[in-house]
Amino acid sequence: MVRLIRCIADNVVSPLGLDSRSNYDSVRAGKSGLARYESMGNISTPFVLSRVDRVAIDALCGKLGIKGNYTFFEKFLLCSSVQAVREAGIDASSERVLFIVSTTKGNTSLLGQPQEGVSDERVLLGKAAREVSRFFGNPGSPLVVCNACISGVCAQIEAMRALRSGRYDYAVVIGADEQSPFIISGFLSFKAISDEPCRPFDKERKGLNLGECAATVVLEASDEIKGGWELVCGAIRNDANHISGPSRTGEGSYQALMEVLKECRRDELAFVNVHGTATAYNDEMESIALYRAGLIDVPVTGLKGYYGHTMGAAGIMESILSMYAVRDNTVLATRGYREQGVTYPVSVSSEVRECRGSEFIKLLSGFGGSNASLLYRLVE
Amino acid sequence: MEEMILKLKQEIIEVLNLEDIKPEDIDNDAPLFGEGLGLDSIDALELIVLMEKNYGIKLQDPAKGKEIFKSINVMADFIQKNRTR
Amino acid sequence: MERRELDYVVLNQVYVSVNGRELEHEASGNALLTELYRNHIADWPKFFKMDTLSKAGFVASELLFKEIGECRPGSEEFIQARAVVLFGVTASLCADRNYQETIQDKDNYYPSPALFVYTLPNIVTGEIAIRNHWRGETSFYVLETPDAAQMAFHLACAFQDQVTDSILAGWVDSSRNDDFQAFMTVVRREDAADTEWLAGQLKQMINILNNK
Repeated sequence: MVRLIRCIADNVVSPLGLDSRSNYDSVRAGKSGLARYESMGNISTPFVLSRVDRVAIDALCGKLGIKGNYTFFEKFLLCSSVQAVREAGIDASSERVLFIVSTTKGNTSLLGQPQEGVSDERVLLGKAAREVSRFFGNPGSPLVVCNACISGVCAQIEAMRALRSGRYDYAVVIGADEQSPFIISGFLSFKAISDEPCRPFDKERKGLNLGECAATVVLEASDEIKGGWELVCGAIRNDANHISGPSRTGEGSYQALMEVLKECRRDELAFVNVHGTATAYNDEMESIALYRAGLIDVPVTGLKGYYGHTMGAAGIMESILSMYAVRDNTVLATRGYREQGVTYPVSVSSEVRECRGSEFIKLLSGFGGSNASLLYRLVE
Repeated sequence: MEEMILKLKQEIIEVLNLEDIKPEDIDNDAPLFGEGLGLDSIDALELIVLMEKNYGIKLQDPAKGKEIFKSINVMADFIQKNRTR
Repeated sequence: MERRELDYVVLNQVYVSVNGRELEHEASGNALLTELYRNHIADWPKFFKMDTLSKAGFVASELLFKEIGECRPGSEEFIQARAVVLFGVTASLCADRNYQETIQDKDNYYPSPALFVYTLPNIVTGEIAIRNHWRGETSFYVLETPDAAQMAFHLACAFQDQVTDSILAGWVDSSRNDDFQAFMTVVRREDAADTEWLAGQLKQMINILNNK
């Protein structure tokens, strides 16, 4: 029998809260962490960003016993993972525990601003991840998933596979990204950023917002049905079209959806949590993919209007909030959406909606033509 | 104007890494996007940077870029009228 | 069961070999990649837009396909059964440094989108997928060190996707424009059944790079 993979603990650290529950409650209540910045460092073009308070992170580190000369990115990963691992009650120093980090740029801010006492080589993602796994006394070498914006879903898929191989019993999957001038200036050079809070799927959408978040899921492999959230299956598919623009036919997203739909119980599907970055091309492409996959009538929900695009954390944080939403029989409002602005009328709403069902699909797309999907199932 | 067009072509070739193309290969009226040089969306964004860096022209709207970058002649004309360097 | 030896290509800034046969070349550093492109590939001008990491991975993969005689599918054909799974330590560090230069100085501040797009190591997998019309899985994993056993384990994991029949697997690193290393091989489903054997094959490729 294929081993069952369960999520036994989760955590989200963001401007909207330091744990999953407070994040969910904030989003449910319609709060957002987005704020407009007129400039930052050498950047003089306005942008919208959801930025985490560094003082709050340092205070949280103190409270959690995280001491040492860590970079902000490493503290961010630790703040989230320490809470999740404690909630899980596992011995993370065991060689049967695999650490996986999902990030796009890690400690890259060190290139522009070195930190005293931090070696230059911490700009290497493996070294940064090791700082985290070492904190837990884990003997193995952590895996870093660096697959652009889909990394958070890919990390969970790889965790599932590693657990199903039988070599590990638990996986601690942590995703985070620091929104430094490096990333912000890059997306500004792509003219991809809106200077207003983003509007996923909306007629007037004009680009994405950026956001900071750290999120963790602790996954367990089991040979028997125990109840709770199961990760059923996932898929990663490339458009083979362009390295930064999505396929006009939503090819990779469509294929990724079709793959997880093989296992999905359609009448139990509560909603699809989409990427919904609010760029002209992404949302249009996603609507095409959803239509082609026969999901045009399934409720769709996007969280970028609360958090912005959190890069490496997105796939994990957005899955966690979806778990809370399904338990709450709720389709979270797609903040920023007002009027249908894509070719196929996806079922997106600016209001909170009720839903029934015990499954959801998490969908993401990213640079490099990559797309990923993940099917979650709540077993009572 | 001819000198300016030659310089512009050389700049475009360099900035867009059009390694095997010489200025004389680029027809002044041929479309730069789609057919012709087959430039893509990232190339268009790099041309926006080139406009600012070399000619002091700031283009905020990438959609406007598509019109201005229609051909070498259209581009050169626009630069001539709007350059601040 | 007698296992086949994997075909492979290994290259760095001064060395390139295909299944152990060294290829002649004149240039070194980044210019070596250009020389290899012109002599052995020559029909993909997008090559010149790539960053060093993508160039190294792309060239290594193309040399591999020539060796094993793989044909490109017709332009309307796309394949899902071939995945691209690459590993590295530096990830996009070379491209990161190049991009950083365009934003570092307030008085010469011109962020380059063409450089920024390459500040993600998975772009290499995307470039290869586009060239070959592969619509399967593309993944990039960053490790602490070139660990053959770790690579073999995760390659075997990738075959849990039942659609994947084979993987273009490899290693790509670049910390500076003239400093890079890569190896590429194709791993079939049956190759990954014995991860110890697979790790041994990958270790040989790593050893070649360590000695050049």
